Amino acid sequence: MSAVLALWPSGWTRQQKSTATIVAASVALVLVMWLIAWPLALLPDPIGPAAREFAGGTRVTVWLTLVSGVSGLVIGVLAAVAKLAPFAPLRWAAGLYIWAIRGTPLLVQVLFVFLALPLMVPVQLTDFSSAALALGVNVGAYNAEAIRAGILAVPTGQAEAARSLGLSPRRTFVDVVFPQAFKIALPPLVNNVVALLKDSSLAYVIGVVELSNIGNRVQAATFQPVPVFFATASIYLVLTTVLTQISGAIESRLDIEQRGH
Amino acid sequence: MTSVPASPPPAPSAPLIEVEGVSKRFGAVTVVREVTTRFFEREVAVIVGASGSGKSTFLRMLNRLEKHDAGRIVVDGILLDDNTKHLDAIRREVGMVFQQFNLFPHLTALENVALAPRRVRRTPRAEARRAALEILTRVGLADHAHKHPFQLSGGQQQRVAIARSLAMNPKVMLFDEPTSALDPEMINEVLDVMKDLARSGMTMVVVTHEMRFAREVGDRILFFDHGQLLQEAPPADFFDNQRNDRIRQFLGQISH
Repeated sequence: MSAVLALWPSGWTRQQKSTATIVAASVALVLVMWLIAWPLALLPDPIGPAAREFAGGTRVTVWLTLVSGVSGLVIGVLAAVAKLAPFAPLRWAAGLYIWAIRGTPLLVQVLFVFLALPLMVPVQLTDFSSAALALGVNVGAYNAEAIRAGILAVPTGQAEAARSLGLSPRRTFVDVVFPQAFKIALPPLVNNVVALLKDSSLAYVIGVVELSNIGNRVQAATFQPVPVFFATASIYLVLTTVLTQISGAIESRLDIEQRGH
Repeated sequence: MTSVPASPPPAPSAPLIEVEGVSKRFGAVTVVREVTTRFFEREVAVIVGASGSGKSTFLRMLNRLEKHDAGRIVVDGILLDDNTKHLDAIRREVGMVFQQFNLFPHLTALENVALAPRRVRRTPRAEARRAALEILTRVGLADHAHKHPFQLSGGQQQRVAIARSLAMNPKVMLFDEPTSALDPEMINEVLDVMKDLARSGMTMVVVTHEMRFAREVGDRILFFDHGQLLQEAPPADFFDNQRNDRIRQFLGQISH
């Protein structure tokens, strides 16, 4: 998973290697988003002529993943903290949210936000915003459980030490508990983001023109499903690979004790 | 706080911590039973007793890591209760050193020491780090300031933990079996730091099994038995002129 980490000069420190990997992989992600039309255009029919459409779909998929991924992380932290709060109604609200989201299909949630929500609240979202909202709320529920597990895994002595130094409960969480909990929660969080990248294809049902939608459109127009779906799957593989390189490097950066090496 | 008109003239140094009839239950088990005592400024009080005698629980009640069920505790004139302002004020003045060190593993030694002054006292970063290095130098760890806890031995970690507490300039420091998790060859480096602290006039309440430290450094020994404060005595009386059979038995067991 951390293949890129091994490519850097052996004299570099763990932090230098992981920083370099994060920068390189992030640059790669931007390049994929901007320039993917160029290598795709070199491919034979039916991919080459549709290169610009595939590139546009890739950008939408990446954007959708980034927007819902970041909001899902924020929602996850808030829901995890709420579920561990001393105030019971907060715990119930967080429990209800996680129970409802994990207990219903994502497809139903995407359709609900797009079709049912506008009838209940006077806000009309675009198809992209609807998909981002549904995906963010969905991944947030799974993130909440990963982060909650991370918080519970931090020894109670850590909070006791911080509190007895005079740190407030909030500062204790921000400076002491959360950094350790995040490191523990990172592998399952990465799982969730990789799943999110692939689940973003469900935005297709409400008309978002993302990568899967493009694939289906091109195969419907050309009647050549084999090369089209190979191309679509390959692009997803490139994206998940870049994503796991970044997350692996973040993990390595947080791994102060170097137990993973 | 308690100004009773008929009270005797104040002692030469005022009590820093007053404990009156304090009890603590865990479910049906009473772990601390009606303890009354006072801790004075510049005093080193050493709490001894068998495992499970309630001495650690008693110590942890002094900064409310455990809540007491009955009685009252006053620290530096502030009543220890559910009022978070009281609690924050008290915790700023009371340092605590734990058996398991409880250093923050994601921070360097220097950052461990500088964190609370920066966050609680709002000391600027550069000044907090300079002060932290000074304190680490005092406990003999200037060369290890930029290491993370996992790179340090147990004895070094506990010295960092003491430095971390000292950085807040506490009026009193609580030690909860500070050498019990250490390999034998590392115990002395921690005890030496504690002796230096005692000589500098720090008020200390120490729960320990190190009887030589208690005898050498302690001004007063408190013996806990089944949650009760069975005896308070100066070390000479406690160790060399002990009349209580239960304590004689305890001292006989640990001297072997």
